[in-house]
Amino acid sequence: MDNTITQISNSLYSQCIADYELRSSSKDTAEPAELSALREKAFQQFKKTGFPSTKVEDWKYTNLTPFLKEEFITEQESDLVAVEESLVEKAMVPGLDSYRVVVVNGVYRPDLSDNIPHEGVYLFPLSAAIGRPAFKKHFGQYTDISRNHFAAVNTALFRDGLFLEIKNNTVLGKPLQVVHLTAADDHTFLQPRHLIVVGTSAAATIIESYVTVDNEASVFINHVSEIVVGENAQLQHYYIQTGNEKARYIHHTEVYQLASSVYNNYKASFPGTSLLRNNLNVALDGENVESHLYGLYLSGGHQLVDNHTIVDHRKPHCQSNELYKGVMKDEATGVFNGKIFVRKDAQKTNAFQQNNNLMLGKKAVIDSKPQLEIFADDVKCSHGSTVGQFNQEAMFYLKSRGIGDEKARALLIHAFAYDVTEKIPIPEVQAHINQLIEEGLKS
Amino acid sequence: MSTDIDILKDVSTEEYKYGFTTDIEMDIAPKGLNEDIVRFISQKKNEPEWLLESRLKALRHFLKLEMPRWQNFELPPIDFQAISYYAAPKKKAKYNSLDEVDPELLATFEKLGIPLSEQKMLSGVAVDAVFDSVSVATTFKTKLKELGVIFCSFSEAVQEHPELVKKYLGTVVPYTDNIFAALNAAVVSDGSFVYIPKGVRCPMELSTYFRINAQNTGQFERTLIIADEGSYVSYLEGCTAPMRDENQLHAAVVELIALDNAEIKYSTVQNWYPGDKEGKGGIYNFVTKRGICKGVNAKISWTQVETGSAITWKYPSVILRGDNSSGEFYSVALTKNKQIADTGTKMYHIGKNTRSRIISKGISAGHGQNSYRGLVQIGSGAENARNFTQCDSLLIGDECGAHTFPYIESKNNTAMVEHEATTSKIGEDQIFYLNQRGIDTEKAVALIVNGYAKEVLNQLPMEFAVEAQKLLAISLEGSVG
Repeated sequence: MDNTITQISNSLYSQCIADYELRSSSKDTAEPAELSALREKAFQQFKKTGFPSTKVEDWKYTNLTPFLKEEFITEQESDLVAVEESLVEKAMVPGLDSYRVVVVNGVYRPDLSDNIPHEGVYLFPLSAAIGRPAFKKHFGQYTDISRNHFAAVNTALFRDGLFLEIKNNTVLGKPLQVVHLTAADDHTFLQPRHLIVVGTSAAATIIESYVTVDNEASVFINHVSEIVVGENAQLQHYYIQTGNEKARYIHHTEVYQLASSVYNNYKASFPGTSLLRNNLNVALDGENVESHLYGLYLSGGHQLVDNHTIVDHRKPHCQSNELYKGVMKDEATGVFNGKIFVRKDAQKTNAFQQNNNLMLGKKAVIDSKPQLEIFADDVKCSHGSTVGQFNQEAMFYLKSRGIGDEKARALLIHAFAYDVTEKIPIPEVQAHINQLIEEGLKS
Repeated sequence: MSTDIDILKDVSTEEYKYGFTTDIEMDIAPKGLNEDIVRFISQKKNEPEWLLESRLKALRHFLKLEMPRWQNFELPPIDFQAISYYAAPKKKAKYNSLDEVDPELLATFEKLGIPLSEQKMLSGVAVDAVFDSVSVATTFKTKLKELGVIFCSFSEAVQEHPELVKKYLGTVVPYTDNIFAALNAAVVSDGSFVYIPKGVRCPMELSTYFRINAQNTGQFERTLIIADEGSYVSYLEGCTAPMRDENQLHAAVVELIALDNAEIKYSTVQNWYPGDKEGKGGIYNFVTKRGICKGVNAKISWTQVETGSAITWKYPSVILRGDNSSGEFYSVALTKNKQIADTGTKMYHIGKNTRSRIISKGISAGHGQNSYRGLVQIGSGAENARNFTQCDSLLIGDECGAHTFPYIESKNNTAMVEHEATTSKIGEDQIFYLNQRGIDTEKAVALIVNGYAKEVLNQLPMEFAVEAQKLLAISLEGSVG
């Protein structure tokens, strides 16, 4: 276990091991053999590798030691958690006509969610969907547990999550708003697991927001979402990540795209959560696929925000475009790693990636690592990465027009973020994010 | 595009022009690496006790290390015990003029197209030729001596200027830096030593031609260049090596030290034997190069043209410690057949107002794999640090690869860092335009590649630029679209 944190997180490590062993020995779960086999494989993997240390290249800049040292419990009864309606309301995009779905501590709560009277749309707790063909076909198929320590733990230990299937040729009329709420009285290590399958020629918009209930206890939430976008399908996917200092998020999203599909991901994160690590992996496994990844991270306090993305071009004639912008306040640390792979057969690929960082805090830190790995020759690929601060000329211009220092800064930050926010096609969401930026700047 | 395929074939069958072996009696140490061998080398070179001690310390450290695994290629296993660590031409006389030099040696240089005599006359270049491990000819020494410039072989410097060597050796690249630096520190064969005194602008380009010759003796040069306050030096390094079947390890260390207001310009043209079409038998070029801008307003500039070696693995770096100091890195790396290049630079910004500029151009053809790996690190005290990085990759043929791994770490909010990378192939419209002007595809490609690399080639001193351009043209001869 050379490359793992051993000492400090030892207790959590052994607890996860014990937890798994207890569960697999009790045999009271009616899980199909394939799922048990997958869990076992993931468990063995995790047992071998444990939690990653900074010696693992993908965790070079993110030291987990301070985030794993509490005494966590690995189980949480969620059905009974009383949820304040106001908190859910706050997480919703104001004025947006949508279906509401509430997930508490990784468990779908029909009692708090809207009924979706839409033909061809199936929404279940993941645990209730295990027998479905879509689950059997797609679950665990795309995530490489041998390289993702946390995806391995999740696969071994997950209990529940959200299952969403949109049948072929179904167009979801209204956006689906999923509010992920976390509330715990004890330090908790959670493993929610989600699967979203969008069928052939189907289309949907999903807005996922993350909030935590103010509590003394620390929560470490290790989400894994697997998303399949079928042929000719379209998925607009939003992540709005907020939370308090007690919250630590690891979110692994694995997207698998078939021919002629479109997947757009819009991600915005704000000050609060002490650790935020997003892995967003997109596999373009069909011709004429389009993927757009937009990210905005506004970080403050001692926050550590780490965005890792992989865009894997496997087939010819695909396009990808990635733009991540970060505003670093106070003593925040930002990490960006974007990988673009262009496989040998993926000729005529266009792949672009950009990461810009605006450094506000004197002690803010940025570690950016854009990365290209290209094995085909007839391609156009580029990446860019910048770290900088306010343009002094722009500041001067604004001041000379009688705009105060603070206001001028806010204007320039909004202008900086605009490159990302303008890409958001729903005006209500755009306004909501601008509002969150405003609040984030004040905090 | 059948022409492409034909041309690709042409490129891959282009034989290495400089493959030949010179027959000179060698004084060779037995294969293997242990304290006795290190003592043997040290004794052969008549070294002082402190140097032997530091060699042994490095050796002990080396034996504890494992091979790194982070690189972006398969590193073939290297048996360090199967290498002979010392080889010296037997006739170890000091020469004052070229007439005294072994004619066979001179003929070797003649074949390389760099006759000492001609260089001496035409370019005014002082040449310190390292033939395998021991310097055999040093020219222009007298002229440099008048200015107080010390330009000699490393072993000579150990004998004659031990205080300078002791003061600076291993201060930029300590033996603990990496496994090859440790190996080098233990078994240093020879190398070059340059000291430019205060306020002196070295009147000529200093140049050393390295050449690996004896079978199975990797070369472990050590180059140490010190530019004292307000001085300037331009140093050239160029290499060719004979054709051979066994892989040869080349693990050199280059240390540059620039004090207040000093400037060092270091240029490399590397054309070692890249192996045959299957990649068999080429040189492993694992070099640690690092410079430090110790004083204010110091400047260090690396320029490299890498066309040879089976594996090129190096990151010439600059530590920008002095305020207002600047570092530059210009690189062209060309890989074809099964060649691998994993190269780039590291810029450590420590002082205030430090600037760095990185221009890297990779060209991959055949099955070549080309990686740029770079680090730009801005320390918390590096107020107003500035970096600009551009790395472009050109792909020729669909079997090759181009990869970019830049690391940007900024701990200061006044710093400005820009990184930009592109990957593409030569535009068909560009080729078409040139074709249509009566220039055939082959020439068009050479023209485009040369234009593409121009920004780097322009940084080379005149004589070198010509050689480098020729080298690119030869390497891409009959090249492609």
